[in-house]
Amino acid sequence: MSTQTAVSIVILVDERPEPLDALYDEFSAPLRAAGIPHEFLFLVEPSRESFAASLDRLVTSGAPVRRLLLSQAVPEGALARLAADQARYDTLLLMPAYRRVEAAALPLLVAQLAGGADVALARRDPRSDPGLNRLQALAFHGLVNAISPRRFADIGCGVMALRRSVLTELPLHGEFFRFLPVLAAREGFTVLELSVRQHSADQRTRVYPAGTYIRRLVDLLGLYFLVRFTDRPLRFFGLVGGVLGLAGAVVLLLLFIQRLQGIGIANRPLLLLGLLLLVLGIQAVALGLVAEIIVHLGAPRRRSYRLKEPGTGPNAPVA
Amino acid sequence: MTAAERLRLSVVVPLFNEDESVRPLVTAVRDALGPGDDWELLLVDDGSGDRTAEIASAAAAADSRIRLLRLARNCGQSPAMQAGFDHARGEVIVSMDGDLQNDPLDIPRLVARLEEGFDLVAGYRERRQDTVFTRKIPSWIANRIIRRLTGVPIRDNGCSLKAYRREVLARMHLYSDMHRFIPAVAAATAGARITELPVRHHARRFGQSKYGLSRVAKVLADLLTIKMIRSFRERPLRLFALGSLTSALLGLGFTVAAIIAAAYFRPEKVSAVVFPGAALLCFEMAGYLMLLGLIAETAVTEQRGDAAEPAPLARGDLR
Repeated sequence: MSTQTAVSIVILVDERPEPLDALYDEFSAPLRAAGIPHEFLFLVEPSRESFAASLDRLVTSGAPVRRLLLSQAVPEGALARLAADQARYDTLLLMPAYRRVEAAALPLLVAQLAGGADVALARRDPRSDPGLNRLQALAFHGLVNAISPRRFADIGCGVMALRRSVLTELPLHGEFFRFLPVLAAREGFTVLELSVRQHSADQRTRVYPAGTYIRRLVDLLGLYFLVRFTDRPLRFFGLVGGVLGLAGAVVLLLLFIQRLQGIGIANRPLLLLGLLLLVLGIQAVALGLVAEIIVHLGAPRRRSYRLKEPGTGPNAPVA
Repeated sequence: MTAAERLRLSVVVPLFNEDESVRPLVTAVRDALGPGDDWELLLVDDGSGDRTAEIASAAAAADSRIRLLRLARNCGQSPAMQAGFDHARGEVIVSMDGDLQNDPLDIPRLVARLEEGFDLVAGYRERRQDTVFTRKIPSWIANRIIRRLTGVPIRDNGCSLKAYRREVLARMHLYSDMHRFIPAVAAATAGARITELPVRHHARRFGQSKYGLSRVAKVLADLLTIKMIRSFRERPLRLFALGSLTSALLGLGFTVAAIIAAAYFRPEKVSAVVFPGAALLCFEMAGYLMLLGLIAETAVTEQRGDAAEPAPLARGDLR
């Protein structure tokens, strides 16, 4: 009987999937060779239903494969939550439905969890991408690392081994799944990157529609707010509102002084500018106050800390 | 936790990089509270990077009255205190700093005062042993502002040495940097009866203070939040309606100015845009604030429908 930790390999079948049966054949081989008990769980979006048919051969042959066809398209974060619900084992290995890294990397990633890590993220190293890809990755990681509590070299890889509790405890709604390592590190989970060989199929130029880049920037702004100001939104809105409001107040004060000196202000567009800045400042602060009310009201249902370990023995914490 | 598992007293001490202080602190608390087993010392390691957790763990292993909670990361003093409060077993809970500046010998006096019929006893440092310019003066100013804005007459909000009844803490949820305003939060959310008691204060023996002048802006933002929560927690629409009305009156003033200017001044001296534009901006803000108030009111109503929220203590007078 194997003493290895069992793993659920969760494959999110949403964008540009490759033939799933071939993917299974390639990625299950090193796990079998390493003697790691495992199951493959394919989460298939409705638009990719045709790909699920390729798994019929495996299912009928008794391979440890399960397919879940979703009733509607959902963000990857929701898929990850579903994975946490459905996986048979507490150790999960998440990956996209295309080849990013060599299959030999999977047992190595799983082994990191046995060594104490909560998330082991694959880092394609060395990367042999075209220059345009490297440039995109450089810009993206520059922004992510400015926000993140620790630096990451390849957060976009998407291949990672992790404990089930990571998925259940992190706010992965919307598109935040993309930043799972950042959020995990922020929550105090042990996150490490492991250098693995990039798959040859991954070495090609990728250019996305302009909308994708805009969405990424918006996601980064959301991440910045989540990481820095979730518990204290007024500090963000107050800073923005304070700067705008102060600028407006200075402009209006200058106009007021000029008016006292007998200079008319009824034909001065500066009055409009000053008032506009003041209004924007007040509106930003007011918005921050509403956000604070919401945070304050939600505080009883939310824990602002996470314990490192539940504790055992006579000195264990009592909730 | 059953009533049988309850203790008379829990002392909660958040620790962050205080490895040199832990042993003398444990000894001082033991000496102050005596040999009985009706109390516990709950050390909360707030993600220290030094040997704090290791030394605290050894202390907990040697004495069953001492427990260690380890947070997964450095969450800050408020979440660390909240973690301690959540896991405390005492009917009375005392919080204090872990830097040895508070004196555990004051704990029995605080508890005795609490048992006279108060819900919260706040210590104030009578002869504070801190630097004048970076600690005492900012603290003196901040305390005056906090007193004025919150209406809670506590002279030393920064002193962590406080005693609470368990029921009060069950109605409070600390997050962000709320530990600076515990009496105000307790009065606002739990209607707590609060009093003060002079306590000893010692010069820091080990390490460095975790606070500096940079906290001033943060305190101001948090203060605005506390003020709003205290004044408008139940009916936030009133706050926003006040702002909306003021803005509408200002808009009305600009409208009158625009009419008078159009009727009595030559067109080349008066812009047809500036005053009407200013009026429109003010009316826009009036409408915006009112809508925002309705959103805040909706959020509060939604929360009040939650039956899980504990009822207030229904005692609001301060002595």
